[in-house]
Amino acid sequence: MPDASRRRLNRVLPRALDDTRDCHTGVLRSRPSRVLPLMGLPLMRLWPCVLLLACGCRVNRPPNDHAATQTLYSSMGSDPGTFNPILVTDSASADAIGDLFEGLVKQNPKTNLIEPDLASTWTLGPDGRTITFHLRHDVRWSDGVPFTAADVLFTLRVIFDPNVPNSISFALTIDGSPITAEAPDPYTVVMHLKRPFAPLMSSIQFPIIPAHTLSHAYSSGQFNRTWGIDTPPAQLVSLGAYRIVRYVPGQQIAFRRYADYWMHDPNGGRLPRLHGQVLLINTDANSRYLQFVAGLTDVYSPRPEEVFTLEQQAARLGITIAPVGIDTGSLFFAFNRNPRHYIHNGVIDPRYKWFTDINFVRALAHAVDKQGMINLCFRGLAIPAVSDVSPENKLYYNPNLKDYDYNLALAAHLLDEAGYKLRDGVRYDPAGHRVEFELTTTAGDEALRGEMCVIFKQDLEKLGIKVDYRPQEFISLVKRLEKSFDWDCMLMGFTGSLEPNDGANFLRSSGNLHLWNPSEPTPATPWEAEIDRLLDEGAAVMDPQARAPYYWRIQEILHDQLPIIETVRARRFIAYKNSLQNYVPTVWGLYRPEMIEFRAD
Amino acid sequence: MARFIVRRLLLMIPLIIGITFITFCAMALVPGNFVSNLAMDPRIPEAVIKQMEAQFGLDQPLLVRYGRWLWAVLHLDFGISLQYRTNVTFLIASRAFNTVLLSLASMLLSWLLAIPIGVIVAMRQNSIVDRILSVACFLGMSVPAFFLAFLAMDFALRTGWFPVGGTFSPDYASLDTWSKVADRINHLVLPAAVLGLAGMASLMRLMRSQILEIKNAEFVRTARAKGLPESRVLYKHVLRNALNPFVTMAGYALADLLSGAALVEAVMNLQGLGLLLLNAVRSLDVPLVMASVLMGTILLLVGNLLADLALVAVDPRVDFATLAAQ
Repeated sequence: MPDASRRRLNRVLPRALDDTRDCHTGVLRSRPSRVLPLMGLPLMRLWPCVLLLACGCRVNRPPNDHAATQTLYSSMGSDPGTFNPILVTDSASADAIGDLFEGLVKQNPKTNLIEPDLASTWTLGPDGRTITFHLRHDVRWSDGVPFTAADVLFTLRVIFDPNVPNSISFALTIDGSPITAEAPDPYTVVMHLKRPFAPLMSSIQFPIIPAHTLSHAYSSGQFNRTWGIDTPPAQLVSLGAYRIVRYVPGQQIAFRRYADYWMHDPNGGRLPRLHGQVLLINTDANSRYLQFVAGLTDVYSPRPEEVFTLEQQAARLGITIAPVGIDTGSLFFAFNRNPRHYIHNGVIDPRYKWFTDINFVRALAHAVDKQGMINLCFRGLAIPAVSDVSPENKLYYNPNLKDYDYNLALAAHLLDEAGYKLRDGVRYDPAGHRVEFELTTTAGDEALRGEMCVIFKQDLEKLGIKVDYRPQEFISLVKRLEKSFDWDCMLMGFTGSLEPNDGANFLRSSGNLHLWNPSEPTPATPWEAEIDRLLDEGAAVMDPQARAPYYWRIQEILHDQLPIIETVRARRFIAYKNSLQNYVPTVWGLYRPEMIEFRAD
Repeated sequence: MARFIVRRLLLMIPLIIGITFITFCAMALVPGNFVSNLAMDPRIPEAVIKQMEAQFGLDQPLLVRYGRWLWAVLHLDFGISLQYRTNVTFLIASRAFNTVLLSLASMLLSWLLAIPIGVIVAMRQNSIVDRILSVACFLGMSVPAFFLAFLAMDFALRTGWFPVGGTFSPDYASLDTWSKVADRINHLVLPAAVLGLAGMASLMRLMRSQILEIKNAEFVRTARAKGLPESRVLYKHVLRNALNPFVTMAGYALADLLSGAALVEAVMNLQGLGLLLLNAVRSLDVPLVMASVLMGTILLLVGNLLADLALVAVDPRVDFATLAAQ
C-alpha cells in the first residue's frame, strides 16, 4: 500500500490543489458534513483502544511443544505445484509429497545402493532383459484397499501416455521403446527390457499411484488435472509413511503419520516414530533463518554466511550444526564449440579456433583460482571440483583425476608455447587476432556466480586476455544455449544425480544439453564419439561395481578435453535441534527418516 | 446520475481490454516462457518440455493466445495457473483474505494517524512539533517499507513480544475460535504497523498542505469574523474542505485493498497477493498474472467511479455535468 498510495497521491494532488483554489471563491455552506464526524482530532482518542487490543492479543497459551507432540517442523521455499506424483517437475512438490508415495525400490543415501521398498525382492533374468519384482503383501492404500501389481501396471500405463507430460517416461525408455510389464499374479510384476539397461534400476523408484482411485480420472482424460493443490488432502490416497492432513496455501502443509504404514521397526514398533510433520512455506530465505532461530522450525539448511553465526549461538539455541557433505551438483565454465555459431559462409570466427584448441583451454584451466573462489565466495566452505560427478557419488566418482593447479605463470607459458603471444600486455592468437571473448552467467539470485566470474575475468586479464563479463537473466541464457547459440563462455550449474546416466542429455553428443555443441548429428570429435560409446556400454552392465570404469573414463575424457572447466563444490551443512534423535542427513536425503524422533524429556 | 454511471461503466470496457492486452504483450516480450525454466534440468528431456508447451498452448501466436484468454474470461473462466495447475480463482481467493485484512489494518492505522497529526502540525505551522514531525515524515517517506519490515522482524526476535513473521501460528488449526482471532491480530500488528507507518507519512504531508491552503481562505476568515468558536471553524470549515482529496484517495484505496505489498510480504512471510503476483510474473505464469491485473484494473476503475460519486455527495461544487465534462 505505501508505494501505491504515494503513486496515487501524485495523481490526486493536482486535483486537490484545484479544489482548494475553488475554496477561495467557495461559499460558506451550512449543510452538515457527512464526512466530518468520522474524522478529526477526536479520533486520536481511539488509539489507546487499538493499542490495548493489540497487546491483549499476545496469546497466553502453552508454547507449541514439538517434542511433546512428536511433530517435526521444517520450512520450504515455495508452494507445491501439484500433489500428483506423476506430474511433478518442481522440487517443492517433490518435497510436499515425497513421504506420501513410494516406489518398488529405493536408493540408500549412505551406500548409494538400490534397496527393497514396495518390492521385497527382485530377480534378474539370465539374459538381463527381464526383471521380476515380488511385491510386499502387507501394504495397504490409505483407503484400505491392498496394494497390488495392478497399481504398478496402471502407473506405467499413465507414465507412458503421450498425453501425460512427465519426466519419468524418458528414464524408462530404452532406445526409444518403453519397457513393458506384466503381472502373472497380483504380487508379481515382470518387466521386459529391450536390452540390459542398468540405469533402469534407479528409475524404478518412480512413485506408484493407486489404480482403483485414479483409473476413472485417467480414462476420462482428466488425469492432468487430478490431484492438483486444490484437492482436499483427505482425497489423496497414498501408502507412504505420512498423509497430508492440511494444506494452507502459502502457509503450511501438515502431515500425520499413516496409521497403517507397512514398515515396522525390528521390535514390531510403529514407524515412523514422529507422529507428524509440518512444512512451513516461506519464500524468503532470511525469514526462514529467523524462523529457525526463533524456534519455530526444528531443522534448517544454513547458507554459508549463516553457518558461523549459528555455530556461535549453538549452545544458547540448543542446536547442532552438522556437515552434511559436498554439493551433488556441478558448477563449471563452459566454452562454446558450436560451428553453427562461429562459422558462417566458410568464414571461421577466431574464437572457434581458440575454444577448440586444447592447448588454449588447458592454459585457461590453470587460470581458474579455485581456492580464491572458495575463500571469497563460499567463505571457505567449499572444495575444488575436478569432475562433473560429485565425490558424494560413492559408486561412480573417479578419485584419480589430478586437478589443473592455479598457476598464472604456467598458464602464460602454455599460451606462449601454443602461439598466443603477449604484446604490450595484450594477448594475440597465432593469426594476430586479439584474444577477447564474452563471459556470462545467470544474473540475480545467485550472487556468488557473479563473484566467481569476476575472479576468473581478473585472472584472465592478467594473462592479457580481454573478458567482457555480462550476466544475463536465466531465461535469456537458456535461449542462447538452445536456440541462438550466441555465447562464448559461461559459468553454468547442473544438479547432480546418483545415476550417472541421468546426465546423458548433457554428455551425449546428440543431447540438447550438450552445452558446448548441442544436438550434434554425428559426434564432432573422436572423444565425443568415445563418450557416446561409453554411455551405451556402461548402461548395459547391470552390476554397479563393473559399471563404474565406464563412467570413470568419461570423467577422465572431460577432464582432458575440457569442454567444461570444473570450479568448486560447496560444503553443505544442516542445523537441527539437539532434542532430535536419529537425525542422519546426507546430501542425497535423510538416512532412515522413519527412525527420527524427539528425545522424550 | 444513472446515465453518468452507465456511461462510465461502458467506458471501462475498452480500458480493460487495452490494459489487459498491453499486459499480455509485455509478458510475451519477455524471452522464454513458463516451461523454459525447466530447460536446464538434465533429467527433463526436451520432448517433455515441447509437450508441456503444447498442452499449455504456449506454442500459439500472441493474438490467438490473447483471444482465447479473453473469450474464456467472458465466460468467467480465468484459466489454470501454469505453476500450480489449478484454477487461478482458487489461488487468488486463498490469499485474498490475508491481503484484505492486512490492507484494512494498515490503512486504518495510517489514516487514523495521518489525519489528526496532519491537522496538529498544520495548526502549529513552523513550531517545534511541526519541525520534528516533518523530519519524521520525510524519514518515513524515504525509508523503504521492506527495511522497516526487517527492523520489525529484528524487534520481534529480540523482544519476543510478537511472532517472527507469518500470518498465524503453526499450530493455528488446533486453537479455539477466540484464540484464533487473537493469534491473527497478534500476527497482524507488526506488518500493519510497518505498512501503516510507511503509508502515513505521505498522507500526513497532504493533510498538512491542505489545511495550510485553507486555513487562511476568505471563508474561514468570515467564519471567524462571525464569532464562531475556533474548534467549530476548524472542524466545520477548514477540515471539511481539506478532506476533499482524501475522498478521492479513499476510492483509489479500493484497488490497494487487493494489490498487496510484495516486498514486505516476502520479508515478513505474509503470503498475500503481492507475492503471488510477483512470483507469477517471475515464472511467467501468464494466466495468474492476467487474472491479477484484471482484478486490479477493475477495482481501480470501480474505485475511481465510487470516489467520483462520493465527491459529488460531499462537495456541492462538483456535479455530474462537470465530472462528465472532464
